[in-house]
Amino acid sequence: MPAIFPRWTNNIPLAVAVLGPFALAGLVGFVWYYFSPKYTDVGYRPIQPVPFSHKLHAGDMGMDCRYCHNTVERAAVAAVPPAATCMNCHSLVKTDSPRLKLVRDSFETGETIPWVRVHQLPDFAFFDHRPHLAAGVGCSSCHGRIDQMTIVEMDQPLSMGWCLECHRNPEPNLRPVDQITNMAWDPATDGKAYDAAKDPKRKRDVNPPEHCSGCHR
Amino acid sequence: MARTNQIQAIALCLGTLGALAGCQGNRSELPPVHLINQMDFQQRFDAQEVNEFFQTVDCAKAHNPNQCEGRAARLPLAGTVAVGQLHDDDELYRGRGPDGRLLDRLPAAIKLSTELMARGEERYNIYCQPCHDYTGGGQGVATQRGGGFSVAPKNLNDPQIRAMPLGHFFDVITNGKGTMMPYAAQIPAQDRWAISVWVRTLQVARTPEEAK
Ligand code: HEC
Ligand code: HEC
Ligand code: HEC
Ligand code: HEC
Ligand code: HEC
Ligand code: HEC
Repeated sequence: MPAIFPRWTNNIPLAVAVLGPFALAGLVGFVWYYFSPKYTDVGYRPIQPVPFSHKLHAGDMGMDCRYCHNTVERAAVAAVPPAATCMNCHSLVKTDSPRLKLVRDSFETGETIPWVRVHQLPDFAFFDHRPHLAAGVGCSSCHGRIDQMTIVEMDQPLSMGWCLECHRNPEPNLRPVDQITNMAWDPATDGKAYDAAKDPKRKRDVNPPEHCSGCHR
Repeated sequence: MARTNQIQAIALCLGTLGALAGCQGNRSELPPVHLINQMDFQQRFDAQEVNEFFQTVDCAKAHNPNQCEGRAARLPLAGTVAVGQLHDDDELYRGRGPDGRLLDRLPAAIKLSTELMARGEERYNIYCQPCHDYTGGGQGVATQRGGGFSVAPKNLNDPQIRAMPLGHFFDVITNGKGTMMPYAAQIPAQDRWAISVWVRTLQVARTPEEAK
């Protein structure tokens, strides 16, 4: 009768002992890298129904974000602008561009433009733009250099760890409140020169929540 | 020999897998995958979300746009006023005095101050500057590109416009004028007055000899 286990099986325990840790480390590394919101979320950039370019409007023409996202300081949501906002200009310029057909139709019929949502937190997390802008956190800290994007993409993971990273140490991300929409503000240089604690316009210290009910209400 | 081939094959497989999976931050048009997302989308609506229930009615047959346009947010019906939205202060919200004429001063509810002027400057530079430029000359960036505007914005330093009462600027921002669209939906009334004050300031700054 031949042996049930051939001779080479003697090497299995050794192989497992030697390769197992590598395989485990590989698996951990794989999950750590590929399951992170830095992989799953960052870089998401859906194709929009109208080829609207922030690079052209906010970058080259230097329009302020609040011209279009005008509720951002007054409401929790920044809101994508209605067609009427585009028509302020596009009733006078590029009036017959085929790329703007949807905007013109929407303005006339009231039918909404089906913009695809880019940044979206899960429904169990609470976010409000107002306190962040009032505290002097700039759009670019959370949305990246929108003024250089032809198509909007996610620049930050918007994960809980990312929120908390800033909430634990907000100072490096603060800037004078009148600079919040300034995309060229560089935290590395301008930020170093600015000390929020010494700004006379600030009436109180910022106090971002780190307790669970701050964001899960 | 066979051993090295195997290792090479495994390395090749891992390599292609890595290349296919890409790196962190790679661009993608596919929505983010969240492994456990049962609670990401709950039985409530975000602002500007679609509610399919309100798309079931054909717009031609609907009594009002709320029934057919699929907005989760309900628009107020024509002729209804929400609490606190009556806006019956004619001076503040329409820029007109008791005699129905445009005011040539600030409404009683708003006080002139340096904060008001700073606010006006900031808001002017957000909402008007793209067309009317920083000084009111009408040469804003948006008018210089893409073939130019079919109707150029008015020069706000024009003697004709300088002669207008303060309420006129408020009225133009609120209701539009000619080809300029109304900005009432974008700018709250208080800010519209602040902008009017800044427009006047620009005019005065432009013509020191005529300033009083
Ligand atoms: C001319 C109007 C306009 C201006 C100015 C503008 N935006 Fe937008 N923005 C839009 C429109 C329209 C969309 C929706 C389409 C899209 O996602 O590209 C949008 C989308 C976005 C989104 C993604 C929304 C989502 O679905 O998650 C962000 C973030 C954003 N804008 C930030 C900014 C910032 C920051 C600035 C200032 C630098 C700015 N925008 C200036 C019109 C504008
Ligand atoms: C302040 C004025 C202004 C506003 C507001 C504005 N645009 Fe524009 N847009 C322009 C100008 C000027 C151009 C032409 C730029 C060029 O060709 O150099 C343009 C070009 C475009 C183009 C390219 C058209 C083509 O055929 O090349 C698209 C698409 C567009 N805009 C979409 C939008 C949308 C969508 C909105 C509303 C969210 C909007 N714009 C709001 C001024 C504006
Ligand atoms: C502290 C980080 C932060 C800052 C600062 C910030 N945003 Fe956002 N923004 C977010 C998050 C998070 C979301 C997703 C919100 C959600 O899904 O409820 C978002 C969503 C948006 C959207 C999509 C529509 C909406 O409101 O949900 C737009 C447009 C937008 N932001 C524009 C802006 C502009 C313009 C500024 C600067 C004036 C700005 N944001 C500053 C974090 C930020
Ligand atoms: C770049 C820095 C930064 C990031 C990123 C950031 N926050 Fe904040 N957040 C702040 C600061 C600063 C405050 C404090 C404001 C104050 O005390 O006036 C704050 C306050 C808050 C508050 C309290 C608001 C209130 O009403 O008191 C909530 C809720 C909140 N953040 C949620 C979030 C969530 C959710 C995210 C992630 C999607 C996030 N924040 C990401 C800086 C940040
Ligand atoms: C600064 C705001 C903030 C605070 C404080 C916070 N969270 Fe979160 N949390 C978030 C956001 C944003 C998400 C959604 C992240 C995502 O999936 O994109 C989240 C997600 C979660 C999730 C789901 C994780 C997942 O992967 O689906 C759990 C569980 C959670 N939080 C528990 C907690 C607990 C427990 C605390 C208190 C120790 C806490 N959170 C405090 C913002 C916060
Ligand atoms: C989209 C470009 C655009 C923007 C933005 C804009 N305007 Fe105008 N404006 C015009 C045009 C075009 C005219 C000329 C209208 C005509 O004569 O048909 C005009 C005319 C005017 C006039 C002269 C009206 C008259 O008496 O004939 C005033 C005052 C004025 N604008 C003020 C403003 C103020 C204040 C803002 C900021 C809230 C603003 N505009 C924003 C394009 C714009």
